[in-house]
Amino acid sequence: MHPAILQFTLATALLALGAVLAWHLRLAPLPIYLLTGLLAAPLVNLELLQPLPDLGLLLVLFSVGLEFGPERWAALSGKAIRAGIWDALALPMGWGLGLLLGLDWRAALLLGGALYVSSSAIIARLIVDFKRAAYPESETVLGVLVFEDLVIAAVLAVTAGRAGGPALLASLVLVGAYLAGAYLAGPRLSRWLARLPSEPLLLLGAAFTVATAELFHRAGASEGIGAFLAGTVVASIGLRERLEPLLGPLRDLAAAMFFLAVGASAARLLQGIQPLAIALVPAALLVKLPLNYWSGAATGLGVRGRLLTMLYLIPRGEFTLVLGTLALQAGETLVAQTAVLLVLVSVPVGALAIQLGPRLTRRFRGRRAVPARVMSIELAGQAGRRPERFWARR
Amino acid sequence: MRVEEVELPGVGHKFTIKVQSGDEIVIVVHHSGRRQVLYYEAGGGEEPAAALDLTDEEARELGAILGGVLFHPELTAAATMRVGEQAIDWIAVPPRLAGQRLADLQVPEGVHILAVCRHETLLPNPAADTRLEPGDMLVVAGPRRAVDTLRTQLKA
Repeated sequence: MHPAILQFTLATALLALGAVLAWHLRLAPLPIYLLTGLLAAPLVNLELLQPLPDLGLLLVLFSVGLEFGPERWAALSGKAIRAGIWDALALPMGWGLGLLLGLDWRAALLLGGALYVSSSAIIARLIVDFKRAAYPESETVLGVLVFEDLVIAAVLAVTAGRAGGPALLASLVLVGAYLAGAYLAGPRLSRWLARLPSEPLLLLGAAFTVATAELFHRAGASEGIGAFLAGTVVASIGLRERLEPLLGPLRDLAAAMFFLAVGASAARLLQGIQPLAIALVPAALLVKLPLNYWSGAATGLGVRGRLLTMLYLIPRGEFTLVLGTLALQAGETLVAQTAVLLVLVSVPVGALAIQLGPRLTRRFRGRRAVPARVMSIELAGQAGRRPERFWARR
Repeated sequence: MRVEEVELPGVGHKFTIKVQSGDEIVIVVHHSGRRQVLYYEAGGGEEPAAALDLTDEEARELGAILGGVLFHPELTAAATMRVGEQAIDWIAVPPRLAGQRLADLQVPEGVHILAVCRHETLLPNPAADTRLEPGDMLVVAGPRRAVDTLRTQLKA
């Protein structure tokens, strides 16, 4: 048997162990996958596990494009956009910080993006896992994530590519071509695709995602933005509801491998880590807290909702790692180390914050200024008497 | 009643229902099919008074009950219960038989008349000389086939 099978067995067994442990301890599984990778780094051979980890990242980005792409913009309210703008102030702040540290504009922008963008995939999943979806702050947080993903797609388009100018042009042309294609051929294509049974659709979806990513990579642009764009296009031709459950299980398996791989490669990357990278991590986490408190305020949440918005947006994930990879390719080790360390720290911290946040913020519960209900009861046969009043106190 | 629908990207759909009493019900339908229901009392502050977590199947059952599909609060039509080869049936008496005695009905063999439903009251174990009135309903029990025969007889 091919040695890759043994590696796959080892990796899935370790991940399963981690998942069972997480379930027993009532923790979110994603940070446990990272930790598993970090601990098992000497055991796993990442080369033999490929292409699963890379596929995992591409499918996660595809899902983000599918769920959080420009398609969702129409549904964003003015309030959500104001919240997103408050949140987006973290990007220029991070950029400025990078420039102050003596990075060139591109590396500084990569750093700013890595500090700014929270993980839509991780946060949406944590909100579901901890049963917070029906609460008002979740709506704000998910709206902010839609905003973030579009901003970061623009940042990726600007910063991607090793060659600078031509690569930027190529990625803009490609994005334009894809969107134009979806707009022109969309209706006819979606009618044809709607008739297809599930299996060809699954294979087509996987091929389309990976092919788009490869095309962007060849053109010198970021493959991450290719996968994100693939999700966006699929959403725009109305296939979101069908493809999401089809690709979901494959994505979850591959994404678990991806997080394992991130943990394992972090062990190597973080050897000889610069102290500056360690200092940047708490700075990144702290910069966003007050901004997100105001994001919550912009959508009309009370104090408790604002605090929760702040806590929910802590985890950084897929896009921070994409930006870190770009930085590593460009030889900017500091940015790459900061990005990886930020994910490694923010995912467990954020998962705990989302789990414990509702309990910790309980004393900030708003009391709506509504008087207790007043019931007036007129007693039969006692006409002329003033109606008796009962104040129902709760 | 006002219903608001919002998309929750990556999660599902959220419906906010404000009912007459001022109470608020928030329902999230997850992509996975799970349903989450929060119930806010009017003036009850930011904390929901109750939270429900339902699987797809439970939610559908609950929806059917609320919609009156599974359970009829009032007996609006004749209903039949079948236990093995035996059946209990509620059969409306046609107006043409009004004034007749129970003993005059040609009841197939094996069928028992358990009761007569008349104006919301139940006359159990009716005597053979009970006279039928318009709007009466018979509660009968017996072998399935015989009960069915009686039903078609009375309809004709």
